[in-house]
Amino acid sequence: MKGLHVIGVSHAFGDNKVLDNASLLIPAGEVVCLLGPSGSGKTTLLRLAAGLERLQKGQILIDDVVVADQTMQVAPEHRGVGLMFQDYALFPHLNVIDNVTFGLLGHDNAEAHRRGMKMLDQVGMSQSASKYPHMLSGGQQQRVALARALAPEPKLLLLDEPFSGLDTNLRGQIREDTLNVLKQSGVATVMVTHDPEEAMFMADRIKILGENGQILQSGRPHEIYYHPQHEFVAKLFGLMNRFEGVVADGCVDTPLGKVFARGLDEGRKVEVLVRPEGVILQSDRQTGAPVEVISTHLLGHDNIVRVSLTNGGNGKELYVRVHHSFEPELSKRITAGIDPEYAFIFALV
Amino acid sequence: MTTQATALGMAPMAKTDRLSWVNVWSIGTVLIAAAVVVPIGAVNFIGLTPSDDIWRHLATTVLPLYVSTTLQLMIGVGFGTLVIGVGTAWLVSTCRFPGKRIFEWALLLPMAMPAYVIAYVYTDILEYAGPVQTMLREAFGWTTKREYWFPEIRSLGGAVSMMTLVLYPYVYLLSRAAFMEQSVCVLEASRVLGRGPWRSFFSVALPLARPAIVIGVSLVLMETLNDFGTVDFFAVSTFTLGIYDVWLNMNNVAGAAQLAGLLLFFVVFLMLTERFARRKQRFHHTTSKYSALPGYQLEGWPCRLATIGCALPVVFGFMVPSAVLGGYAVRHFEVAATAEVFGYAANSVMLSGLTALLAIGIGVFMAYGVRLRGEWLVKAMARFASLGYAVPGSVLAVGVLISLGALDNGIDGFMRAQFGVSTGLLFSGTIAAVTFGYLVRFLALSFGSVEASLNKITPSMDGAARSLGHGPFSILRRIHIPLIRGSVLSAAMLVFVDCMKELPMTVILRPFNFQTLATYVHQYASDEQLAEASLAALAIVGFGIIPVIVLSLAITRSRPGHTAGDQTS
Repeated sequence: MKGLHVIGVSHAFGDNKVLDNASLLIPAGEVVCLLGPSGSGKTTLLRLAAGLERLQKGQILIDDVVVADQTMQVAPEHRGVGLMFQDYALFPHLNVIDNVTFGLLGHDNAEAHRRGMKMLDQVGMSQSASKYPHMLSGGQQQRVALARALAPEPKLLLLDEPFSGLDTNLRGQIREDTLNVLKQSGVATVMVTHDPEEAMFMADRIKILGENGQILQSGRPHEIYYHPQHEFVAKLFGLMNRFEGVVADGCVDTPLGKVFARGLDEGRKVEVLVRPEGVILQSDRQTGAPVEVISTHLLGHDNIVRVSLTNGGNGKELYVRVHHSFEPELSKRITAGIDPEYAFIFALV
Repeated sequence: MTTQATALGMAPMAKTDRLSWVNVWSIGTVLIAAAVVVPIGAVNFIGLTPSDDIWRHLATTVLPLYVSTTLQLMIGVGFGTLVIGVGTAWLVSTCRFPGKRIFEWALLLPMAMPAYVIAYVYTDILEYAGPVQTMLREAFGWTTKREYWFPEIRSLGGAVSMMTLVLYPYVYLLSRAAFMEQSVCVLEASRVLGRGPWRSFFSVALPLARPAIVIGVSLVLMETLNDFGTVDFFAVSTFTLGIYDVWLNMNNVAGAAQLAGLLLFFVVFLMLTERFARRKQRFHHTTSKYSALPGYQLEGWPCRLATIGCALPVVFGFMVPSAVLGGYAVRHFEVAATAEVFGYAANSVMLSGLTALLAIGIGVFMAYGVRLRGEWLVKAMARFASLGYAVPGSVLAVGVLISLGALDNGIDGFMRAQFGVSTGLLFSGTIAAVTFGYLVRFLALSFGSVEASLNKITPSMDGAARSLGHGPFSILRRIHIPLIRGSVLSAAMLVFVDCMKELPMTVILRPFNFQTLATYVHQYASDEQLAEASLAALAIVGFGIIPVIVLSLAITRSRPGHTAGDQTS
């Protein structure tokens, strides 16, 4: 199969284990995001795939060829892997076109130049071919780095936090442009990020890397968001409302109502995590638990409402995300319920 | 289906790094470092091997004198350079007064003057028959030495003065850089909080610059321990002089090595101090906001004092000695500019150039080896190899002689046993021996500056270049060398100039009848024939000015905010 195949890779720096039996399969034409907190070994996995780090345990294949196992390592310059660094690592003494043609070793000069210009054209940077890296903005440097990594037509492209150096206004546009270029080239791409939103946007599939270096879950963005199989995965996307309870008759009782507990044993202690948009506020006080509005913050499209449970909830506060058109008055008493699609149950140990 | 790399026609040994280039760099680095460490090890080995009670003999006779003289010299020079170096650095960094722009670089000029040259010059003008005392006698009508008091230049105090005059630029250079790196905000905060400029200096600027000052003074003290020419000429019994005495006059190898080993203790102490200060230095930047230094406009008498205070070290450390030498060279041109002198100059340039080339080549190789493979052994050996700079030339010379002698005897013994031919002494007393000695001492200069500038290149450059299909040699040639070229060149120049000035090792290691400018100046000037030596001495000073110019340019550029032309992104 074309693409990257990582089998059972473990890696440690001294006593610090950053990867634990991690396996991945990234087919050509797909963009896969490795999402995880800093220190979770995402970057190490990229460096192992590129050959910049010595493999300690496991096996790595690129296009069905073993490039690293316990007995041998193909040197990075012979792997045909494109790598884009967080700081872009443009060579400061070479101008843009020389940077882009740096990896075009087999070509004669004219041919390399033609190919380099084509790549620059693709990322919209052909106007700046003779400029030096320090004359470019962050976004422009990012695009040159992308063109440089893609110019030798790598079998695999590795992106290490490619947008973290850009300011927020630019990021959206560049993300979209980058995705277009990647899809056009059809190269298998692994992108490392700690920003869940970025992963959701870019990825065909997301792999969640936990703090102990294990891959906790992988799936399409939709699955990751709506069906987290791990508390850690559920919490990645921001603040959650948390309740504890016990499974009884296939359900868990929370202050906001019952939630089905599929596949969990009776009497099991569990936690229920509800996304902010999974709490349904109603002002007509028909169903749900009574709550009092503490504060509201308009964020544009959404309105963030903080409410506290009035009876039976010991004043527990909830964090709720609603449509901006719903703007309850402060201290107003309303009711809160749960949208089961946004509620996840995990067994407690 | 999976295929091994071989099945696709790749040559696994060449393309994989099981036994390839990485190890070439590692092994090479370790071997070079080992060769450089051998002389220092040899001194320690011989010094620590007890042999027929030399130790007790030394301890009861000359040792107390060596220790106390060396300590007094170090304290005197350390204090003198501290006051002059820090004071002038503070004045030119933060105040405005007439001549400030000139003093910024002129204060570095005495660095070009080897201590032994300035010692010959001042002896020449300050001794009884010299122009100063003659003038005094004529002015006051004295006729004999007993009628007046005049300080004896050939004394411990004289040595302190000479070394202070030429070594203070180390402290000046480093503390000025520290003052310039300090954020103005910190100083302004101090003033807003109610402290005046002077109290701000003592309570904020000076403590912030302390690590840099400590480094500067440690370097000065290392140079003080290294000095041979001055103490030899002034007959000040320091360790360095003692080593020569025991070695050459008493013909006692083990005794010299033991003294050298003891001297190493001083050096180790200085090195630890310096390392410690360097480590501390990292934590001394709390803000990254910089703006042009304020420059307090001085007026009235403080202004005149500042000008005079900055002028004195330049006048006495550089201008007077240059003028005296220049005068001699002009008046006695025919004895100063002989064919021999030009031959010696050629010897100096050849030796120094060869050493500079080798030092740079090896320095780049080792620094890149460390960068490629940070194994502890490689790193530790590279560190060891940089010890040479701190070790006084006299000690190194003893070590080089011992180790090359052993090597020569080993080869000779082997050749006689195997082939019945005697090779004699192959390396001892050859130009190769001198070059090796220079390398051991100055490799740290080139390695250090190559390593420092390589460290400024982010490792992702290497990663990017390798993932783009370039091997380590290609990356070194196409990325690193172009990026570090500037500092490699200035390191080469520093090594070159230091070799030109080098005296103690050259004296011991040179081939019979082989003269360099430095040994020639030493031989003639210490024989009170300054006229003959004047042009050669001026030549050494002239070469010494080159790095001064480069350094002063570098320090102006190094200030944050002055880096408009910086190419790093």
